[in-house]
Amino acid sequence: MAALGERFRTAVAEAADRETLEGIRVAFLGRSGEMTLVRRTIGTLPPGERPDAGKIINEATSALEVDLERRARALADRELDAELDIAIDVTFPGNVPISGSLHPVRRAMEDACDYFARRGFAVVLGNEIETEYFNFDALNIPADHPAREGLDSFYLQPGWLLRTHTSPMQVRTMQSHPAPVAIVVPGKAYRRDAIDARHSPMFHQIEGLLVAPGTHLGHLKGMLTGLFRELFGAQQAVRFRPSFFPFTEPSAEVDTTCPGCFGGGCKTCGGSGWIEIGGSGMVHPDVLRESGYDPGAVTGWAFGVGIERIAMVRQDIDDIRALFENDSRVLAQLA
Amino acid sequence: MKLPIAWLRDYIDLDQALSSDDIAARFAALGFPVEHVERRPKLSGVVVGRLATVEKHPAADRLFVCSVEIAGDRPLTIATAATNVAAGDVVPVATIGAELVGLSIGPRTMRGIASEGMLCSAAELGLEAAWFDDGILQLEKTLAPGTDFIATFGLGDDVLDVEITANRVDAMSVVGLARELAASLGTTIREPSLAIERYHTIAEPDARVTLESADCKRFVGQRFSNVVVRPAPFAMRVRLALAGQRPIDNLVDISNFVMLETAQPLHFYDIDRVAGRHLIARDARAGEPIRTLDEADRALDERFLVIADEREPQGIAGLKGGAESEIRATTTEILLESATFSGPRIRRMSVALGLRTEASSRHEKGLPLGLSTWGAARAAHLLEAEGALVHPPFAVGAADIAAAPIRVDVSRFTALLGMSISSAEARAALVSLGCTVEVSEGDGTAFDVVAPPWRGDIRIVEDVIEEVGRIVGYDRVVAEMPPILEHHVSSDAYRSESRVAHALAAHGYREAFSFSLQPAAVAARYANARIDLPAVVEITNPLSEDQRYLRFSLVPGLLEIAARRSGDAVARLFEIGHVFERARSGETHAASGDFSERARAAWLLATPATDEPAWTDAGFYTFKGESLALLRALTGSDAETVTATRPGWHPGKCASLVVAGKDVATIGAVDPRLLRAYGIDARVFAAQLAFDDLPARTMTRYRTPSRYPAVTRDIALIVDPEIPASAIEYAIRSDDDLVASVHVFDEYRGAQVGDGKKSLAVRLVLQRIDRTLTDTEGDAAIAAILDRLRERCGAQIRG
Repeated sequence: MAALGERFRTAVAEAADRETLEGIRVAFLGRSGEMTLVRRTIGTLPPGERPDAGKIINEATSALEVDLERRARALADRELDAELDIAIDVTFPGNVPISGSLHPVRRAMEDACDYFARRGFAVVLGNEIETEYFNFDALNIPADHPAREGLDSFYLQPGWLLRTHTSPMQVRTMQSHPAPVAIVVPGKAYRRDAIDARHSPMFHQIEGLLVAPGTHLGHLKGMLTGLFRELFGAQQAVRFRPSFFPFTEPSAEVDTTCPGCFGGGCKTCGGSGWIEIGGSGMVHPDVLRESGYDPGAVTGWAFGVGIERIAMVRQDIDDIRALFENDSRVLAQLA
Repeated sequence: MKLPIAWLRDYIDLDQALSSDDIAARFAALGFPVEHVERRPKLSGVVVGRLATVEKHPAADRLFVCSVEIAGDRPLTIATAATNVAAGDVVPVATIGAELVGLSIGPRTMRGIASEGMLCSAAELGLEAAWFDDGILQLEKTLAPGTDFIATFGLGDDVLDVEITANRVDAMSVVGLARELAASLGTTIREPSLAIERYHTIAEPDARVTLESADCKRFVGQRFSNVVVRPAPFAMRVRLALAGQRPIDNLVDISNFVMLETAQPLHFYDIDRVAGRHLIARDARAGEPIRTLDEADRALDERFLVIADEREPQGIAGLKGGAESEIRATTTEILLESATFSGPRIRRMSVALGLRTEASSRHEKGLPLGLSTWGAARAAHLLEAEGALVHPPFAVGAADIAAAPIRVDVSRFTALLGMSISSAEARAALVSLGCTVEVSEGDGTAFDVVAPPWRGDIRIVEDVIEEVGRIVGYDRVVAEMPPILEHHVSSDAYRSESRVAHALAAHGYREAFSFSLQPAAVAARYANARIDLPAVVEITNPLSEDQRYLRFSLVPGLLEIAARRSGDAVARLFEIGHVFERARSGETHAASGDFSERARAAWLLATPATDEPAWTDAGFYTFKGESLALLRALTGSDAETVTATRPGWHPGKCASLVVAGKDVATIGAVDPRLLRAYGIDARVFAAQLAFDDLPARTMTRYRTPSRYPAVTRDIALIVDPEIPASAIEYAIRSDDDLVASVHVFDEYRGAQVGDGKKSLAVRLVLQRIDRTLTDTEGDAAIAAILDRLRERCGAQIRG
């Protein structure tokens, strides 16, 4: 028994890993292990000796188990220490997951829409094929009006064209909903402009319209100031410059602080410290009347802002074509 | 419009401290952005000189020596190579130290003669050489020697290129802009003189004007006799040249000058060439010819309004005069036309003729009636100064009457502009613009505002409010948040589109934005690949062939990108946008006319070609898995896959995805003929989703998961190749409460299963919700399942 114990302890002490240790356990304490075999011999002893023998064997077995357990813990600790000693090159590149992305124009559009949605505006979409009535006439731009000049359009058949702005949705929405309304309309618009670094025959706009009793130009300035702060940062201010749009009166061009230089003057703003970003004004009483509203009871304001311009200023894009060429490197880069 | 600051100074005193940029900023704040400031060259040291003597240079054949009188001092000796000078001429003289364009004048000796300056030509003074005298500029002999030439003619002042909005035809004029600037500076302008010393009257008026078309609203005519055609005064020529108009002769220049000064276009007829001395404003007759001033022969028709004599058209109204009655060098008797036409009519004519002139660009905006009287009077004043005898003007057509007053409640200024404006302030702003403002009777809370005759654009209360806002300045508008309003406009369409975009991005797809305008080549590729196309929508006036058609599908745009991808790169792309078709006959409705426009999302996976048996396609199953996951994210339910054939997709690798009974999407391998047309050598899969037709997202109901162990069993079946996996799954599920899930996970064809058969591996999970499944129950369930498979699918069970 003593010899068996000695051999066991030597083997355990020499075991270098938990697998060997398990082998030793099986060899001594397993179903046909040495200790088990010794235990079986108890039956061959005279009945009077059996209890003592059993006791001796149990104690010896317990001792073996304690040794085994101690050694196992030591080995586990050593393994942990070894694990802790390992260092890898964490600067080695990670495996690149499949990653999708939203287009910069959509992100600019959604950031703007989210801002308005949080302030109770509905976000409305509209068709790109439009009638002359909604694109022009209902907006107080009669045929042969020189204001149609800046809105040179693609025609599909007489009376039908690709909308030149998102403004047709002003009248469409008002005609189908009673006042008050508060909407923004993101979407595509088309003008017969040859494509170059700053112009594209297809572009995106976001239109805003709020019609309610007592609303005024100050509310428009407030909403737009908030919008540009959300899009470009807390330093933004809004400047109105008088202008002319047939569907607003008074009308104003909208400038905001150049986010490239915070107003100091840089290449983005041509040195002025401001960027031109859209047109706006108080909805013309003729447009309210055409929409079935009473200009004596409600006033409204509307604006239209170019989404590409926002995306381009935010991401330093100097050529609008980069947004529609779908170069995979650019899509990945701007994501 | 080019606005020489020198010309502005004729009507308004501008502080020297006010720079061109300051003036530009004021115009911008008034609503007239300055697109460009044309910087004039820095000139100095040029005075008016009179040539007392001009003699040949004693030592040089090609040089002359002039004795030049300038103010008071002794005459200067100046040598010149110019040949157009003679004693008595009055010319610009650059004295020693003068700065001209590209040169500085210092003392120099020319062949032994010390020259004390230089006689100047147009180019040296920064004027367009071709528009002025060859050689030395000749000035009026009445000019006093020694006069500061640069200051007198304003050659040192910059020129502003001012953008004029379409409603402000009055501001397409120097006086109009001077009025604006004066209002901004709080000053007033000097009106141009209309004084006539003496009218020349004759007993019978021998010229007549008849209006036969309502589109000629008013025609002011005036005769002038004893006209001498010669160059206009130098000051007028300089102003025209700075404004970009080439000086021609005094008559042409006066008509251009008055147009640029007042916005009223004028035309002069040689009265001796007007048949019957009678001008008639009428519609042209079909095919009626005219030769215009630009020597172009044009055939007219009823669309055109002409000014004709009793024989034939003498001009196209508001656009271009006729060659026949053009002023010639010998002309002495002229008839002035200062007319007001219908703006839209002139614009239509301009478009029809493809001709736009300075005159038509003003007429088309609808000139106020009052300008016609004023323009004629101003021309008369200038012609009299040129020595012409002035006959009294006569007018036909609408009378030039004052506009009706507009009543404005004073509180409306503040209410609409969102800034506090006092009654006094509003009134001062309006008066500064030439309006008359009467406090209406009563408590003084309203104004009666009459717009000045040149401001035809001020018609309604809001126009008046805008004028006050412009002058007070929009910088005073106080930013304020509007209250949140309760309204009934839905955002569902936007939310749906946005959800699709975010879901696709989350599933690894990159968003692209392509042009919805496409070349014919896109449809041609489909046609060449023998793929059916919808009726494509064509643009009637495209800018280029590249943009003639509206896209009928989003897939071609994605294929273009896939075709450009580098090497073996895997590409996942998507686009959301509208697609367009011509509606089938009978489908026309008011909202979309003959067109159908639908919102679609398309996504595409391109992977390198793989080596695998023809009966399977690993790429397809990857794509299908991703597409189903996407639909699950969007709808909250699992779509059913139904075999389909659709144009543009591989006929044997296409499926429609059905959610709640609605066919919402098509997925599959792109038709290989199309891939060949696009030159794409890869496996490409595409899907198109009608997200505007998606069933509302269902809220998934909670089910308690079973707490008891499940039994998982894999079975292998041999079936005919036509039996789809979905039929196997369906047969297994078949209302069997014990089946927790079924998944067909492998397919094999080949020698081991024999020709005309396939082997499918299926993993079944059986589980009860209420207790542990017993072995007996499990075995019985499996036996029932296998029976169903044999019976319904003809399946043999392997091993």
